[in-house]
Amino acid sequence: MANTETVLKDAMTSIDGVIGVALVDYTSGMALGTLGGGKEFDLNVAAAGNTDVVRAKARTMELLGLKDEIEDILITLGGQYHLIRLLKGRGKSGLFLYLALDKSRANLAMARHQLKRIENDLEV
Amino acid sequence: MTGGANSGGAPAGGALSPMLLRLAEAGATGALLRDTGALYLSDGAVVHAESPAAPGIDILLTAGGRLRPEVWQEAVDAAGARCRIARHLLDHRRISAAELEISHLEALYDAAYFVLGPGGGPSRFRHGAVHWFGALRPVQVGEVERETHRRRGLLDALWPYPQLDTAPVVRRRAARLPPVPRRQRALLELADGVRTPPAIAATLGRPAFHALVGIRRLAAAGHCETPAPPAGRGVGPGPGLRLPYEAGIPPGPPDVGTLRRVLDGLEARL
Repeated sequence: MANTETVLKDAMTSIDGVIGVALVDYTSGMALGTLGGGKEFDLNVAAAGNTDVVRAKARTMELLGLKDEIEDILITLGGQYHLIRLLKGRGKSGLFLYLALDKSRANLAMARHQLKRIENDLEV
Repeated sequence: MTGGANSGGAPAGGALSPMLLRLAEAGATGALLRDTGALYLSDGAVVHAESPAAPGIDILLTAGGRLRPEVWQEAVDAAGARCRIARHLLDHRRISAAELEISHLEALYDAAYFVLGPGGGPSRFRHGAVHWFGALRPVQVGEVERETHRRRGLLDALWPYPQLDTAPVVRRRAARLPPVPRRQRALLELADGVRTPPAIAATLGRPAFHALVGIRRLAAAGHCETPAPPAGRGVGPGPGLRLPYEAGIPPGPPDVGTLRRVLDGLEARL
């Protein structure tokens, strides 16, 4: 049975170009688990900061009256992709998976697909 | 796995509990007891925490919809006496290991925030005490202290009035208020002037810290009253202290009502 560590390890090994991955509670901004990153990329800082990104987008959608939900958020930098996938399902709302990818080695379509699979792995 | 290069050692903001750090260094097993709750250690790492201010793991699991109450009760009856409830839930495939870990970490950090809070009184340690839930994923003491510091900083950055965390939440009704974000609506609906943020959290089955964050945000937006700080301590300028405005801290909560009337008047002239 998968625990959070094996799920994050799976993300690190099965997705090309991963720099780091984190499972984040977006109300508190706490990373419930991180893998990868390192001295030059503090995933705990990224986790806390990106909760503001998610909140700003959710707020904007409410102000626009959009009756829809965010599936994922993509931020494209010069050299990296940052992908945020909001989790759904019983008791998991309020969490997101955060993925930082090296742009030159990543396949974005594949990474989004894999992230969806990894979300499902958290439940079995 | 959390923390990477940062794991272990005292956090930058100073130790919240020197006794806890000593116990961690000694690899102690048992329960650190304070007026604000208890931290359970196993081989020097935190394996569980509980506080009267924070909903327990049972409430988070059942009210959050992850487990039916009768499934939880069955696990308590079968494995509670042996302190192996977590193991029982996993062995009987009642919940995935990842989901149980997530709930457990939420409950642990939530309770630890209150246990290590100011005013917890002196600490005692009961050697050998084991929590009935059973160990799941131990967390280093340094990580618990670091996260507790981070949470304090977050609340201060949102709206620096700690009296909101323990006072009954009073809803403000005014004509010109921003819309309430969806996740905060449930909190506001329970703001009846009697319930405190931890009581609201327990009713909703959410971590208490989530309610603290939500209420600070709601108060900052003008949806809740910000009570005056308790007299005689806190932000009042004591002898030899700098005045609040000199320290860059606003002298008590601003009168939001007056500010809004000023804003309305200015806008009417545009």
